[in-house]
Amino acid sequence: MGDDLPRPLGPAELSRRRFLQGTAGFALVPITATLAACEGGSPSPGGEGDGDSRRARTLRLPITSRIASPNLWNPMAPGMRDDAGFQCALSEPLFMLNYETSEIEPWLGEEFTPNETLDVWTLRIRDGITWSDGEVYDADDVVFTIELLRTGPAEINFAHAIEMQKWVRSVRKVDPLTVEFTLTAPNPRFQLDYFSVKIFRSIVILPEHIWAGQDPLTFENYDPEQGWPVFTGPYKLASASENLVTWERDPNWWGAKAGFQELPEPEFIEFEAAETEEILVARASNNEFDFLDDITTGAYETMHGRNESMVSWNPDRPYSWADPCTRLFSFNTALAPWDDRDMRWAVNFAVDKDEIVDIAYEGSTTKAAMFFPPYEGLERYVQLLEDEGVFEEFPILEHDPDRAAQLIESKGWTRSGDGYYTLDGRELTLQIDTPTEATELSRYAEVIAEQLERVGIRASLRRLAFPTFADNIKLGEFEAASDFSACGSVSEPWYSMDLYHQRRVAPVGQASGGGATTTGGNGVRWANAEYSRQVDAMASLPLGDPRIDEHFVAAAREYLRDLPFFAAAHAKKLYSHNTTYWTGWPSREDAYIQPPVVWNSSHRIIHNLQRA
Amino acid sequence: MDPTLTRIAEAEIEAEEAGARPASPWRNRKLVAGAVIVGVILVSTFIGGLVWDTTLARAATSPLNLPPFWVDGGSMDHPLGTENSGRDMLALIVVGSPTTLRVGLIVALISMLVGVVLGFLAGYLGGAVDAVIRILSDTAMTIPTLAIMIVIAAYIPEMNATTMALIIAVFAWAGPTRMIRAQVLSMREQGYVRMARLSAVSDTEIMFREMLPNLLPYLAASFIGGMSGGILAAVGLEALGLGPQRVPTLGMIVSQAIEGSAILRGMWWWWGFPAIILMVIFIGLFLIAIGLDEIANPRLRGART
Repeated sequence: MGDDLPRPLGPAELSRRRFLQGTAGFALVPITATLAACEGGSPSPGGEGDGDSRRARTLRLPITSRIASPNLWNPMAPGMRDDAGFQCALSEPLFMLNYETSEIEPWLGEEFTPNETLDVWTLRIRDGITWSDGEVYDADDVVFTIELLRTGPAEINFAHAIEMQKWVRSVRKVDPLTVEFTLTAPNPRFQLDYFSVKIFRSIVILPEHIWAGQDPLTFENYDPEQGWPVFTGPYKLASASENLVTWERDPNWWGAKAGFQELPEPEFIEFEAAETEEILVARASNNEFDFLDDITTGAYETMHGRNESMVSWNPDRPYSWADPCTRLFSFNTALAPWDDRDMRWAVNFAVDKDEIVDIAYEGSTTKAAMFFPPYEGLERYVQLLEDEGVFEEFPILEHDPDRAAQLIESKGWTRSGDGYYTLDGRELTLQIDTPTEATELSRYAEVIAEQLERVGIRASLRRLAFPTFADNIKLGEFEAASDFSACGSVSEPWYSMDLYHQRRVAPVGQASGGGATTTGGNGVRWANAEYSRQVDAMASLPLGDPRIDEHFVAAAREYLRDLPFFAAAHAKKLYSHNTTYWTGWPSREDAYIQPPVVWNSSHRIIHNLQRA
Repeated sequence: MDPTLTRIAEAEIEAEEAGARPASPWRNRKLVAGAVIVGVILVSTFIGGLVWDTTLARAATSPLNLPPFWVDGGSMDHPLGTENSGRDMLALIVVGSPTTLRVGLIVALISMLVGVVLGFLAGYLGGAVDAVIRILSDTAMTIPTLAIMIVIAAYIPEMNATTMALIIAVFAWAGPTRMIRAQVLSMREQGYVRMARLSAVSDTEIMFREMLPNLLPYLAASFIGGMSGGILAAVGLEALGLGPQRVPTLGMIVSQAIEGSAILRGMWWWWGFPAIILMVIFIGLFLIAIGLDEIANPRLRGART
């Protein structure tokens, strides 16, 4: 029987069988999801600490996607997943920035001090540190790592190599516990930016006795028989697969022997893949996880209703903690009509930021006047602008559709019959790019698009895969974007402000930036000489120097006058901690450190946990 | 003689003896039921568009997370409730249902048009033309279309309902092509076609003036099947978040419900109403397809009872 014979008569290739299969498959989606959600209906019977069971001695954390290369533990190699215990269990930082106090706290390092001209920095390492294989951790390891970054390919180590190549002229061992860095130029933020876990991670020091002679891009750093990976953290890798990574407490951890810290209480840390919010919440409700990394407000309230042991940073709304990367609405200032600051201000007046908070965030965040996170070290600067009357001059948080219309019409646009502005037969449109992977960014972009439609701007959304989205910003191939390209400042304002320096501007089609952020820096292509001059003047002043203030205010005025982008809202992270098995989590009342649990600064949290 | 045909003949004789004219095959109950279902959906959404404020389908136009009016906390201002971006569910369904049907319609139109042309060429002309078209359509049918559509959709700068329909249609032509080719292969040996050929009628005329009218019931059934398939593929893409951004469709509502953890939050109205409408549409289209199938195929008509 060949294809040449006529087939039974019927509705073509969408046969009844295929049709029914498809329909049944569609119908099964909600049923399956309902069943999955129902699984998490009530906490497990062992929800009161569960005695001395393995679960009661284990800290269980979710990862939101499977690990492609579970045997890759080389922090220099692209593709290593460092959110499954590398940062919070295996490797320890030299210093860690405490967002709550804006202080840099020592860990493996004891002190890191600059000379008067801020171009020679001296690092003092804590005495008594050993690697997990017993070898001494000393200045040789630090010098080896920095030299590897300085001389290695640019792809290694999350862009830290580029920064070391830019800043470090030479590095030398002074004695076994002292290292001296000579910089290419004064840098008051050298310790803060690269060695203090400013956001998520910092430079990881490598054991020279293992890494010497290895190719930093291809070395896996995994050999269970030899006890690899070797770092200084209080946990050793017990097993790793795509779905589950298990860490076991190291009884020989240097910190306990040296009297630095006691061994952390959790004997095991497990990271398990749980890929959707429904699954995460259902399993956390059932006490299968001790921490959830950013869920939606509705999901949190549902989960807390099911399991009161799941608590958030804030006990009440907004439950969330503010992430360092403030959410922005950015214009491509190289493209008309958005190259006109009045048009950009018109958009700002058209945007109701209260509505963004209420609708897109369901009340889980707050408005932002500037592009900085609301941490103590930066709030001081925002308050300075308030005190100087800058926000009266530039009412950035004001929602005034009439003013928006007035500004648009002053440029010759007239509102046509269908409600949209036109000029010379051309409609006033604005396409807003948003990354597919980030629902949060899409949601506030949707709200802004609706608000712009209300004032007569035809707004549309373009969802792009994140790499394409970031490349488009770098190359200037976008009109507007919901993004977080000003990310970087945590305790001082210069870093984020410098991302918009005019030296970073490139023509459309060429990559802007030079910054370590994924979008490079100044993707909005805003060139303001006075702003850049003021930012340069801040660059070499010591942190906290009162002379920074006047330059900051002057630069902020330039930014607000031109408004190449504006803050849509503070970024929220609705973290949730489970107190069934472990207490001692950071919270607004006990804010001993920022709440993320898988950062390199999270060692503070792990050491603070106690059995419930 | 085929027992089914015998039954049909007997039924017709009985009808004649009873003094009734044989019922028109177009008065098929399934066809009528399906057409009524789809018609009701279309008419309801049309009327809904006249009497209900469809701008409420936009984000930030209504209070968040309201249940339907008959549930505690619900309001007659939003009879079917609202979702977590302040969109009114009734407005979403009124706007989304016809858009979803439109996607299916475009997919079916394009796939049938391509299928008719290629199927006739392959089946009637045969030889190298047939070989090329058959290989192309067989190859196209082995492609994992959803995966490729996801990739294509991810690279489309701005997705709207028409663009999405065109993407789906790119992969929907192979089925109709194969079906029509098979029918044409059978028909080309029939007497009236041979007679036309002997009368020096051109191939184009034979294909599209002599043979095509005889295939109309099959084409109609295939068209409806293509429409269902198009809607199903569109819903799949939309549920993955790759559908139109600002134009509501039923699949997009389901997608947003998934993103917003609607099931977890107990917001059944968010995914339930669009899912019900989709199922009703599918059932309606399915009945139409079966009805047309029975009209085209006497065997099925006879076996109906």
